[in-house]
Amino acid sequence: MTNRAAALATRYRGPLALLAVLVVGWLVAGAVDATTVTILVLALYYSIGGLSFNFLYGSLGIFSLAQPVFVAVGGYTSIYLYNTYGISPWLSLFIAPVIAAIIALPIALVATRIGGGAVLTALVTLIVAEAATPLLIAIKPLGGAIGLYAKSPPNPTFWDMQFANGADFVKILLVINVLLIGFWMWWRHSKYGLFTTAVKDAPEAAASVGVANARIRLSVFLVAAMLAAPAGVVYAQYNLLTSPDLFLGATAMFQFIVVALVGGAARPWGALVGSLIITWLSQEVSNWSGGNAGAAPLTFAVIFVIMALIVPRGISGTWERIVERRRPKVSASLGPIAAGRSAAPGDGPGAAARREADGEGVTSPRITAT
Amino acid sequence: MYFAQLLILGLLAGAVLSLVAIGFTLVIGVGKIANFAHGAFVAGGMYLGYEAYVAWHISPYLTLLPALAFFALVGWAVAEVFEQRGRKVGEVGELLVGLALLLLINGLLEVAFTDNPRSLTGVNIGSLSVTGISIPWTELVAAIFTFAVAGGLHVLVRTSRWGRAMRATAEDPVVAGLQGIRVPIVQRMAVTLSIVVAGLAGVIIAPFTVLTPSAGTTFLISAFAVVVLGGIGSTAGAVLAGLAIGIIDSMAAGYLSSYWTTLAPLLIILGYLLIRPNRVTT
Repeated sequence: MTNRAAALATRYRGPLALLAVLVVGWLVAGAVDATTVTILVLALYYSIGGLSFNFLYGSLGIFSLAQPVFVAVGGYTSIYLYNTYGISPWLSLFIAPVIAAIIALPIALVATRIGGGAVLTALVTLIVAEAATPLLIAIKPLGGAIGLYAKSPPNPTFWDMQFANGADFVKILLVINVLLIGFWMWWRHSKYGLFTTAVKDAPEAAASVGVANARIRLSVFLVAAMLAAPAGVVYAQYNLLTSPDLFLGATAMFQFIVVALVGGAARPWGALVGSLIITWLSQEVSNWSGGNAGAAPLTFAVIFVIMALIVPRGISGTWERIVERRRPKVSASLGPIAAGRSAAPGDGPGAAARREADGEGVTSPRITAT
Repeated sequence: MYFAQLLILGLLAGAVLSLVAIGFTLVIGVGKIANFAHGAFVAGGMYLGYEAYVAWHISPYLTLLPALAFFALVGWAVAEVFEQRGRKVGEVGELLVGLALLLLINGLLEVAFTDNPRSLTGVNIGSLSVTGISIPWTELVAAIFTFAVAGGLHVLVRTSRWGRAMRATAEDPVVAGLQGIRVPIVQRMAVTLSIVVAGLAGVIIAPFTVLTPSAGTTFLISAFAVVVLGGIGSTAGAVLAGLAIGIIDSMAAGYLSSYWTTLAPLLIILGYLLIRPNRVTT
């Protein structure tokens, strides 16, 4: 590879990785058996919800347990509009986020204004999530506790989004995942992303240069709600059902957070990585225990406990840290001057060299020996 | 008549809410930790009472003593973990530990007892008849227990040396530390005490409550609602707010429709937070 091509590849690392995931995932979806398809649908569904949580938590540190509600909004929008007006679920993919944002508005008003940090927001949004089930049951046209079943036309066309083959849903969810991760990557470096970081890290300083704190916090919350809704649309179509239990049941409630935090908080890839690993693991444990219904939630819980106690950065975060450590800190031409400058604070000059010598570095003695 | 019945039902339900919230207000006020697993310990206590009765035919009231020792041990261990993570990762670390414990207890109960609701039907110690309204003694005992615990804690916090240390820590941990109060120990005691109260509450309400593994989340939310209404750190506030929410619940269910029982307190608390979002900063 020429230098120029290498530079381009480094620069567009994110989009290229996304493209690779899309292609590989697409091929895998067509090639695997039905059980794996079920796992993949679940994993990709959780990862969208997790991404929505992660986006909000990563951008502003708002710990929202209400994301399942916005996913449920997606499911209900899709099936209700399809059954009543015959509107295609494909259109609902775009209508549902708007409705989710409208519903999120009052919640956002409470959650973003409340003082007291992550814990209080978490409790308040947990109340919202708990209130959602009785509210849904109370609204008669939405089918009460049983929920709504999608009408099945005699000859479902593409527009009905009712595929007999689960692999098609894997592909849809995969595309949504890739689009949302891409959106987040763009957002981080966009004007809004920079505003948001400013609001998170230094609210007073941001306000003094004219960033509207309250408005930014509110809109990030709404955007996060919009990101969650498409997951519900596709998952409801996959089940041909939308019900309080499907989206807001006791075990469904916390899975998004677990997936996001285990994968790596505040990282675009986090939820996808965490989701694939956890869903696969919990399926394995469930099989191994002979199909005990509680095995899968317990696996989630145990993984979460391990993570909360040992790797608070999650898998992606820990991986980044390992890469960071292994990366040679000194470029051959600059020598020890750069070593002193680029080392992490407190490491002191020569720390990189010491680490290399400590045996992490069979890699490159020539770099340290300048 | 109907009103009086609803009122008594509400008061009894409210006493249970208060009991769960007393520990929670303590752990937020003194321990400075919003323990997300608080409700899960109530659920744990419920299943402990259930299992003791079903497996060994021990009355839940006799289970209280071993349960006290058990939850004291568990509580101290949990407090230790909170302390460690809190020091290293800060507030979010504590939040994660609480959530993880909530999920873990939930998952363990689900594996051990399945998801199906259970109830402990065998415990029947008669009922008291007040002007034609019959009140089961099991519920009365729970209400009396609530007032005993609340009263005991109140006296303890107001008069004892240890209580003064707790109040000082609640007000300002740093200054309390400067005065020679061993703040980490006091905070750990508060967390332990709250978990003990939660566990015992679970045991004592087991005879008249529907047992589900996920009850922990419901208890957490009602405790939070009660604490916000009653004011953080106040035992008397927790009791009054608990009784008030219990009565509102029962009236809403009696005059409107049953799903209002769960919905009414949640809406009250959300509306309250919308109007006064700064009320609950610890």
